[in-house]
Amino acid sequence: MIVSLGGLILGIVLGFLLPVKLPVEFSQYMSVAVLAALDSVFGGIRTNIEKTFDINIFISGFFGNAILAALLTYLGDKLGVPMYYAAIFAFGVRLFQNFAIIRRYIISSLKKND
Amino acid sequence: MGLNNMKKASFNIYLLISALLFGFAITIVFKANLSFEGIVTIQKLVEMEKEIKNSTIENNNLVKSNLEVLERVKEYENGRENTGSVLNPMKKELKGMQMIAGLKPTSGPGIIIVLNDSDQEAGVNDNLDWFLIHDIDVLEVVNELRASGAEEISINDERVMPNTSIRCGGPTILIDGKRHATPYVIKAIGDPKALEASVLAPDSYIDLLEYNGIRVSVQKVEKLVINPYIGPDKQKYLKMVEDGETK
Repeated sequence: MIVSLGGLILGIVLGFLLPVKLPVEFSQYMSVAVLAALDSVFGGIRTNIEKTFDINIFISGFFGNAILAALLTYLGDKLGVPMYYAAIFAFGVRLFQNFAIIRRYIISSLKKND
Repeated sequence: MGLNNMKKASFNIYLLISALLFGFAITIVFKANLSFEGIVTIQKLVEMEKEIKNSTIENNNLVKSNLEVLERVKEYENGRENTGSVLNPMKKELKGMQMIAGLKPTSGPGIIIVLNDSDQEAGVNDNLDWFLIHDIDVLEVVNELRASGAEEISINDERVMPNTSIRCGGPTILIDGKRHATPYVIKAIGDPKALEASVLAPDSYIDLLEYNGIRVSVQKVEKLVINPYIGPDKQKYLKMVEDGETK
């Protein structure tokens, strides 16, 4: 938990400090990839609470989903079909689902403490 | 203990790397300050490209006309310096205006089109209208010539003005109220190649006319002369709008 939070903060700091600029052509792919990664993060938090967290599944999902989402967007661009809606839809739905499950775990654990 | 610790360490490193990347990516995306204007489909892209092209052309034209105006101002100034008055440049300008207004004979390269009624024998079921030249045929040819950049057009030596009418007059046609019969000799000043190409293009109006045996000859000319407009002054009601006048 501390490791991941530390990594996150370090990443944000690096992102601000390093003079990296996102080319406009890639902005869409990056956004979708970030969404996919965010989905993996929520999934990771959920499985962590459920004590079924597997680093291999997390890592493969984290990178695999991001790359697949970006590729899908690229393909959609080439085909003239807004394929990235599929990625937004799938990851969005899963994100909210995971969040709902996490919420329930947290609330039930708070109730237990009462 | 060793194996467990090593596992723990690699676990943490993986987590650290992915969290780091995640934070980095999010920051980059935020820093890019994106604003999506919907998806850019290929159709949209093509439209945008067209728009840009049109704007560029318009811009170029404006630049050109600006240069022309500057040139004129320079001419006025030169005239004033040389002769003390702007009379000479103005006279030159007047001549140019008269030429454009069709009051002076003009010459230049162009094409001569001769239209003549069909000499094919019409069948029993054929519509005779298809074998004769009508006012609308002449109008269409004139329009096609204009579309391909004709600068000056005359029909049977009748100067076609901006307000010239071409109407049906029974077996003849009336151009500005004057009666003309076949053959119709249409002269047009402009780029001879462009004019000929557009007039003889497949599916052009003349191409359609030729289907029905209407005799058409198109000839490119190095130099042809178009007579000035001869006729009454048509502007009876026309008035210049004064400055500040709205309605």
